[in-house]
Amino acid sequence: MNETRLPVADIATVGRHSAALLRANARPLTIVVVLHTLAAVAGLAGPLLLGGLVDAVAQGTTRERVDTVVLVFVLAVLAQTVLIRFAQRNAMVFGETVFADLREDFLATVTELPLSTVERSGTGDLVGRTTNDVDRIQHSVRFGVPRILVSTVTIVLTVAAAFVTAPLVAFAMLVGVPIFLVIGRWYLKRAAPAYQRESAAYATLNGTITESVEGTRTVDALSLGARRRERVRADLSEAFAAERRTLNLRTVLIPGMDSAFVIAPIAVLLWGAFLISNGSVTIGAVTTVVLYAMQLIGPVWELIFWLDEAQVAATSLARIIGVGLVARDREAGDRSPDDEHVVASEVRYAYRPGHDVLHGIDLDLVVGERLAVVGPSGAGKSTLGRMLAGIHPPTGGSVKVGGVPLVELPLEDLRRHVALVTQEHHVFVGTIAENLRLADVTADDAALLDALEAVDARGWVEDLPDGLLTEVGSGGHVLSPAQAQQVALARLVLLDPHTLVLDEATSLLDPRAARHLERSLNAVLTGRTVVAIAHRLHTAHDADRVAVVDGGRIAEIGSHDELVAAEGDYARLWHSWQQA
Amino acid sequence: MLGNVRSLPLPDPGRPPLTSPAAYLAWQARRQRGVLAAAVTCGILTFLAQALMPYVLGHALDEGLEKGLGPELLRWAGIMLAAGVVQVVASAFGHRFDVQNWLRAAFGTSQLVGDKVSRSGDRVTEDIPTGEVVATVATDAMRVGEFFFNAARLIGSLVAYAAVAVLMLRTSVTLGLVVVVGLPAVAAILGLLVRPLHRRQSAQREASGRLTTLGADTVSGLRILRGIGGEGVFTDRYRRQSQAVREAGVRVATTQSYLDALQVLLPGLFVALVLWLGAVRAVDGSITPGQLVTFYGYAAFLTWPMQNLTQTLQITTRAVVSVRKIIRVLQVVPATGATPGTADAPAPGAALVDEASGLTLPGDRVVALVSAHPDDSARVATRLGRFDDVADRETPVRLGGVLVHDIDKDELRHRVVVAEATPHLFSGVLRGELDVRDRATDEEILAALHVADAQDVLDSTPGGLDGDLPEKGRSLSGGQRQRVALARALLTEAEHLVLVEPTSAVDAHTEARIAERLTAARRGRSTLVVTASPLVLDHVDEVVVLRDDQVVLHGTHRELLAGTGEDHDHYRAVVGRTLTEDPVPAGPTHDHTEEVTR
Repeated sequence: MNETRLPVADIATVGRHSAALLRANARPLTIVVVLHTLAAVAGLAGPLLLGGLVDAVAQGTTRERVDTVVLVFVLAVLAQTVLIRFAQRNAMVFGETVFADLREDFLATVTELPLSTVERSGTGDLVGRTTNDVDRIQHSVRFGVPRILVSTVTIVLTVAAAFVTAPLVAFAMLVGVPIFLVIGRWYLKRAAPAYQRESAAYATLNGTITESVEGTRTVDALSLGARRRERVRADLSEAFAAERRTLNLRTVLIPGMDSAFVIAPIAVLLWGAFLISNGSVTIGAVTTVVLYAMQLIGPVWELIFWLDEAQVAATSLARIIGVGLVARDREAGDRSPDDEHVVASEVRYAYRPGHDVLHGIDLDLVVGERLAVVGPSGAGKSTLGRMLAGIHPPTGGSVKVGGVPLVELPLEDLRRHVALVTQEHHVFVGTIAENLRLADVTADDAALLDALEAVDARGWVEDLPDGLLTEVGSGGHVLSPAQAQQVALARLVLLDPHTLVLDEATSLLDPRAARHLERSLNAVLTGRTVVAIAHRLHTAHDADRVAVVDGGRIAEIGSHDELVAAEGDYARLWHSWQQA
Repeated sequence: MLGNVRSLPLPDPGRPPLTSPAAYLAWQARRQRGVLAAAVTCGILTFLAQALMPYVLGHALDEGLEKGLGPELLRWAGIMLAAGVVQVVASAFGHRFDVQNWLRAAFGTSQLVGDKVSRSGDRVTEDIPTGEVVATVATDAMRVGEFFFNAARLIGSLVAYAAVAVLMLRTSVTLGLVVVVGLPAVAAILGLLVRPLHRRQSAQREASGRLTTLGADTVSGLRILRGIGGEGVFTDRYRRQSQAVREAGVRVATTQSYLDALQVLLPGLFVALVLWLGAVRAVDGSITPGQLVTFYGYAAFLTWPMQNLTQTLQITTRAVVSVRKIIRVLQVVPATGATPGTADAPAPGAALVDEASGLTLPGDRVVALVSAHPDDSARVATRLGRFDDVADRETPVRLGGVLVHDIDKDELRHRVVVAEATPHLFSGVLRGELDVRDRATDEEILAALHVADAQDVLDSTPGGLDGDLPEKGRSLSGGQRQRVALARALLTEAEHLVLVEPTSAVDAHTEARIAERLTAARRGRSTLVVTASPLVLDHVDEVVVLRDDQVVLHGTHRELLAGTGEDHDHYRAVVGRTLTEDPVPAGPTHDHTEEVTR
């Protein structure tokens, strides 16, 4: 296979995208920050009032004064309560909105990926980005962005309040800052890769369990149980090693940060005592600053936690944004085809420059003919099929319909002219009707049933409990591979292109069913041009012409009888198959 | 050493009681009681040291601060530092023990589930959806871990709470009672909000799970969407569900924001009450300003154990729900081999006989099984492998005269291997995924790949035999996957090898090559191939024809083609991919001999 990896955005691009995302949501974000700032200010009242009380009591005061101070404190608590209520709600709604926008944009980008990218990259990587990566950033986007802002604001305000209360004393609370900076930097530098390893280890473990569960039958049949248990054990060992690594990092971080928080109030106390003996500050002021120093613990830990998370999320975000960096593979022109005549001339194609898979293929499809393409695996049959269906722009030469290159047609038009049907079938989550209407949103139930009739599928669909409205796909009614293939073919009937490229479309069915299905398809497709890339020789026998592709070239082309008479490769194969 | 982490996973995950979630959790707690005790000790020390801080601060204010930087203050500062050091050390080690508690419980559970699914056969997915089984490892095991992680914090909180209550009661009965009664009341009120919050959170999780399914579904079918159209329909569908998730999130946010606000309001009012009571006493001189600060400090500190209590409630609820799901998976009874074998296995070379159909594999021949209905022949072939003891009770299969049901399952699986039509490929290094018995040399592996005509897989897997095969062999084409699975089955070197439709997805050139090499490679060893392809039938020693679940004919392909009689006609109709326009009739057969042999 010619797998290519999808791009991953670099740090600068991730930064640009994140900034743009925040700018686009500047208003709600500002509201969140303002509300939280006010809430944080209200939260600073406690230590300040207590410090005042301590001084007042020392100097002798009255019940009225106490009542007033406590009343002010209660008011501050009430104000903080109301502010927190709205601030938190706004912050979470903001997070939900931004995340919803992000994932919706991502999926829209994915569904608009160029045809050639989709065909070549496979869907595994994309599924991973749609599920795992989107999942991984959700925590950071939904809660992290607001929390980082809020904890930063709270830290700044608390320190500022301490300085306003008693600038001389407040200096002492900064004694822990060097420890924070050293330990914090040390930790954050190492944390992201360590946590990534951890989440990768768990993803592997989940993958192993998923495989074991999905493949229970094979596990049983081939006695793979011991191997599977060994695999789980190995995954757990790796997860454990990763956990131990992050645990060791935290074993430095936690006591480091904690000791900064232990030292700060003691330093304030000692320095404050010195200043008190100087007479430059009051006991109450020192009390207030000590309490502020203790209050910083919460927001500082929160900030560290979210910075950590944000780093991990950034790598997933890079993969999500990366999908948007795929370049377009074609520009639609405005010419429309004169007729339904498909002609390939001098078509070359290379997945990697210099390694041509097709070496200048000329093929003139007769309108309405059935052409079978046969040949050994790896001969370039499928690549040729994709060229004829306009999936890839050829590296050299052209494929034109009615005089217009296929790759210059807008996609919606292209599909009305040529369609590619592969052996891959996928039943989408939804009803059978929804699965069919992909091809034609306007089709009514009668049209759907007619299409099913054409592929011999009407009977079993009508026998289903809910008929066309039966839920199928992951979690719904399970269709057999043959039924799934029939649904796919019925979609084609609805799409109604004049030329069809069938790439081994019937190979997954058992031989008799394939033949059966091809017959019903034949009846429907009369008058259409059909290119059938075939495994089975009866397909070739039924065709008007047969092209034998070998080594990226058309080795033989002609009717079945002509080729048999020519006694080339095709004839030999036919005879061995015919021995029966 | 203290705080040293014992390597996981443990050699034996043990056998937990499956009677109730409580029994399961208690069993797990006993298994890790040492770590649990260490964590709880550290937790208590951490919280006590912290609870001591306001006390020390109050004394420092009263006895030291006024006199300036004197010996009194230094003494209290020293005590504060000592308490701080205890707290730092205890919480650092405590965290290590907490994490060990988490890992022991979570990994133990994951291992139990992993073991179960490796032994249960497909019974596990009959009873429980795949996603839920996977979730027991991905989510539920973590929740059990979280329960044990939280244990030290909970008990530390409770002890500190009791200590503070005693200290306050000693200073002032009123203040003490406010703490003793007030805080549990606050915790209970907050607890009330937990349930609706949970409900809304799980509603959002469910909506979000559906969204992930829709996303994965759209992307998995992307080739089709891009080829046929309908991207718009799918992005709209995703957008709608995404907005539903967002709205569910907004509902969570509403409840959560009330909870957050209450977590400010209730402790705030509690602190205000303590502050007022204390200040009044300070004014009339019954307590010192330092004690006032101490009370304030206690009140502020106590909000922490209170939050832990509320959280414990959530964590425990979640853990119990998760354990129920885990128990459900662990209770699954395997489809075969639930009880140990009772009979001695027969000597090598014994014949394998399906009594219901009359199919006999003598032990040294390559046989093909043909039926007009591929499902029928596949069913008979599958039966030979013993996949369901309950369902197969009516259709006995004997190896050397012994019922396969009575033979030790591992022994049977090594001697009789059934490779089904839709085998699963697993991720891993290609060599290991091919040679699942770990006994072949590279030459033997390459030879098996040659027989299966799958050498091209070495090119499409970077690194060849040392390269990685992705999950489900996704990097391979359908035909390649089938050929890899065939090579894998061949490498088991089973005494009886049963292959169901092994070449259905390969082209005619390839099928012809495989048929020739396969029969040569297995010559003299019992092999059954379920197929109707003449390219294969022409090479086997014997063809067996199944009709209405009974063996009606056997002989070489040519003999059967040449024979006369209704069953021979039937055979010709089934295998002759005739050139007529009629599909193979299911009822009365027509004579196609002429067309087939012309």
